[in-house]
Amino acid sequence: MNGEEFDEFIKRMRDLERKIRDYVESELERALRTFREELKQVEDTLRPMWHHEGYLRPLYSIRDRGPYIEVFIDLPKADEKTIEVKFRENYMYIRAKLREEVVFHGVTGRGGETRFHEYREVIELPFKVDPEKVRVDARKGRVKIIIYK
Amino acid sequence: MYSASGVYREEWIGDFHIIEYSPIELEKPSFALVSLPDTGLVGVIGAMHVVKNLGLREVAGIDSYVYLPPIIVVSGGFLRAPIRVFAGGNLLVVYNEFSMPQHGLIQLSRVLVDYLERRGVDYVILSSGLPAQNRFELESLKTYYLATTPRAIELLKNTSATPFENGFLAGAYALLLKELIHARINTILLLTESYLEFPDPEAAARSLEFVSRIINKPIDVKELLEQAEMIRIKARDAMKNAMRGLAQMRKDVEQAIPIYT
Repeated sequence: MNGEEFDEFIKRMRDLERKIRDYVESELERALRTFREELKQVEDTLRPMWHHEGYLRPLYSIRDRGPYIEVFIDLPKADEKTIEVKFRENYMYIRAKLREEVVFHGVTGRGGETRFHEYREVIELPFKVDPEKVRVDARKGRVKIIIYK
Repeated sequence: MYSASGVYREEWIGDFHIIEYSPIELEKPSFALVSLPDTGLVGVIGAMHVVKNLGLREVAGIDSYVYLPPIIVVSGGFLRAPIRVFAGGNLLVVYNEFSMPQHGLIQLSRVLVDYLERRGVDYVILSSGLPAQNRFELESLKTYYLATTPRAIELLKNTSATPFENGFLAGAYALLLKELIHARINTILLLTESYLEFPDPEAAARSLEFVSRIINKPIDVKELLEQAEMIRIKARDAMKNAMRGLAQMRKDVEQAIPIYT
């Protein structure tokens, strides 16, 4: 093996090492992301949809529409004038007052005794949001938030 | 465990335990409305309203240690099975708001069909939602139907329901429909445009207009619409749980375009 062949061999070995490192890193990231998502699902399953301090968690969904995402939030009995949408990094903070106090009559325990006055939720978004690129539309206690990428 | 409300008769079908609290006698022609958690909880919300509006009595329960979550329903101090059966006049309602894994749904479908057949039910009505991508903007909702026999189609004569002619169905009702077809039971599946991921009492009310025509009994949906917001609040947990099952059962297929029609 002459000097040129040796240099070529070393270059190929370094390329191979870099590829292996990139592959291991991406697989590790993927595994961590999957683990995090699964953990979030388990946490979410065990997290009640109400809080004893008197707020409810709304249902929501996120749809990717290419250049933008749509976030739908179900806010029955919410006073639409009080809906607050704030962003920090890739998190969206939702708050809305209820038009009237909600009580789950007939339910035994704290769930039936608590008086609810508002909605609160923190929604993780797939990217950091520019609040200038957001449009909010509310109808019949349902909110559609369009966020441009 | 169910003795607090009295057990009239009980039986095991496979891994399912059926407990009847009182004799079930249905007038003819008899109908069964079966509700399972699915798109927009349209069937579950509708069934709940029918039970209340028609004043049906709780007559039986269905439980399974294998396929259902370890849950006891406590209602008015009575211990009840997770799947509840109500009846009155010519109508029997199977009410279930708990999601089940797919292999459990297959077994439940077989058990339900067997049970309804032996009860001599003449027609089965399934009411579900059809996910509408633009539901947020929709004011009037369309209802489609699928009927398994000419006798079943007869019941929808002179209604504004549209036949569901081409497309895919996925999920709990698709499984149940397959079993009902095998058993040759007259069945009508009503599909009303609705939200997929949010409880949709408006869609349930629309569907009930057709149920009312089918069973030939008035069902007042005014109260359901007045209470719609409170129902949406109360149904958040059931909807959250149902969504996990819907994703597993490839509910997205219902919005796919078939290549061959």
